[in-house]
Amino acid sequence: MTSAAAAATVERVRALVRPPCPVLDVHVHPLQCFGPHQVASVREDVDLLRAAAQRAGVSRVCVFSLHESCPREPTPEQCREANDYVLGMRDAAPDFVLPFCYVSPAFPDEAVAEIDRCVQGERMVGLKLWVARRATDAGLDPIARRAVELGAPLLQHAWIKTTGNLSGESFPADVADLAARHPDLQVIMAHLNGCNPRGIEAVRPYPNVHVDTAGGDPETGIVELALRRLGPQRVLYGSDGPIRHFAVSLSKIIGGSLGPEAQRDVLWNNAVRLLPPWAGLRAIE
Amino acid sequence: MIIDVNCWTGPWGTHALPGEAAQVRESLRRIGVDRMCLSPLGGVWAHNCHEANGAVYAAADQWDDVLPVPVLDPTVATWPEELERARQHGRARLVKWLPQYGRYAPEEMTECAGAIAEAGLGLLVQVRLEDARRQHPLAVVEDANPAAVARLAERHRDLTVVLGGAPGGAIAQLAGPLLELDNLYAEVSQVDGMDALAGLVQAGLGRRLLFGTHAPFFVPLAGLARVVADLDDEPAAAILGGNASFLVAD
Repeated sequence: MTSAAAAATVERVRALVRPPCPVLDVHVHPLQCFGPHQVASVREDVDLLRAAAQRAGVSRVCVFSLHESCPREPTPEQCREANDYVLGMRDAAPDFVLPFCYVSPAFPDEAVAEIDRCVQGERMVGLKLWVARRATDAGLDPIARRAVELGAPLLQHAWIKTTGNLSGESFPADVADLAARHPDLQVIMAHLNGCNPRGIEAVRPYPNVHVDTAGGDPETGIVELALRRLGPQRVLYGSDGPIRHFAVSLSKIIGGSLGPEAQRDVLWNNAVRLLPPWAGLRAIE
Repeated sequence: MIIDVNCWTGPWGTHALPGEAAQVRESLRRIGVDRMCLSPLGGVWAHNCHEANGAVYAAADQWDDVLPVPVLDPTVATWPEELERARQHGRARLVKWLPQYGRYAPEEMTECAGAIAEAGLGLLVQVRLEDARRQHPLAVVEDANPAAVARLAERHRDLTVVLGGAPGGAIAQLAGPLLELDNLYAEVSQVDGMDALAGLVQAGLGRRLLFGTHAPFFVPLAGLARVVADLDDEPAAAILGGNASFLVAD
C-alpha cells in the first residue's frame, strides 16, 4: 500500500470512530491511580487524560480518585487526600473535569463530613463508593441520605465475578437493595459488562438505578440489551479510563445498533440529567 | 487494505452472538474490513473441534474476502487429515490452536507445529477467548501462557506464529521475542487501556502487530478504534493490514 493510500485508509477509519455528539464519560480515574504513565503532578495527570480523551472525542469526564495507593479499605484521611487530588484536577481543567467525591461507608460519620466538604462546599458533582463495604451495609445509609439532600448521584462499583468478588465488593443485587432502601437516591451502578445480563435484571425494577458502560471488554450487544431492558434513559457512557481505552469503550455505543437519539442519550443526555445544576451542563437535542 | 486476522463464526453458550457467517462478514465489511480470517466457534467445546471446520470452508467458498482459519487440535489423532484439508483448500493461510480448550501445552506440540510449517501454513495460537471473570462459573477457562507461544515460535523458526487474544500487558512482556523472532506476531484485539497500543508501538513492536476484531464477541469498531485513535498513519496502516500482507499474498 502506498503511503497516500495508507493515509486515506486510516483517515476513513478515523471518521468511523468519531462520536456523533459531545461525550460525557461518567467513570474516569486519575493516572495517579491506574494506567501506563507515572505522573509527577496534578497538571501532568489532567493534561495526559485530556489529550487521550480528546483523541477519542470525549469532551467531559467525571473523575474520582481511589487514592494513589488504591486501598480497598481507605481511611478517612486517604479519602480526603484522594478528593483533594481530584479537586486539583478540577481547578487545573474546570472545562474538562467533573469531580466526584470518594468516601468509605466503613466510616459513615466521616464520610458525611467529607461529602459536606466536597459536594456542599467545593461543588463536586457526585459520590463514588468502591469496595470497602457492600451496598447492603448500613454504613451506606447516612451517605445515601446526604446524597439525596444535596441532589448528588452516587456511583457504586458492582460486578459479578466468576472468579469471586472481594468481600466488600457489591453485586448488582446489593445495588438493588440500596436503591430500594433509598428510592430518592439516584444510583449509577458501575460496570455494565461486569454486572452482565443478570445484573441488568437485578436492578430493572428500580428506576432510580442507572448503569454505566465502564470497564470490561467491548462486548457485542450488551449496551443494546441494557437499553431494551432498562429503557433509553438509564444507561450512561463510562470508560473506566485509563484502565480502559476511551475510544474502545465508546465503540460499545457508536459501533452497535443504537440510533442517533439513543446514542445522544447514552453519551451525554442521561448523565446530564443526573448531575446537579452546578455541573453547568445542558442536554442536547 | 484492512485485514482482520482473528474473527469467528458460530454459536456461544453463555450469550447470544450475531455469529452467523453472513452476519459477521457484513459487520466487518460495514467498517471497511477487506479480508477476514474466520474461525469456527462450534468446535471450541466439542470433543473433536475438527467437526466444526466445515463452517469456515463453506464461508470461504461463498465469499472471496473470507479466509478460512480452521481449528486444529494436535491431541486429536486425526489432526494430519485436518491439516491436509486446510492445505488443499488453497485459500487457507493459517490454522488455529486453542490450547486451553484442548488442554495441551503449545510448545510441546512439536510434530504438529512442524507439519503446519511444512504445509506452508501459519499458526495462530489463541490464548484467550473471554475474560475469566465473565465466563460461566462452571466453565472457567483461564488464559494460556503467552510465553509458551513465544517458545513455540523460537523452536520452529520456519513457522509463522501469531499470538492471538493476548492482553496488552502480555504482549509488552514478550517484546524481546517479538523483536528477535521474525516469525512471531501478536494480534491486538484484546489490547485495551489508555495508550496501550501506542506503548507497544513505542516499544518498537509496530511491525509485529496484527489487527484483529475478535468479532462477534467484540464490537468490530472497537478493533479499529484502538488502532487509529492514538497512532500516526504509518503504524496504524501497518497494523490494520500491511503487516498481515503475507496472509493475502498469492
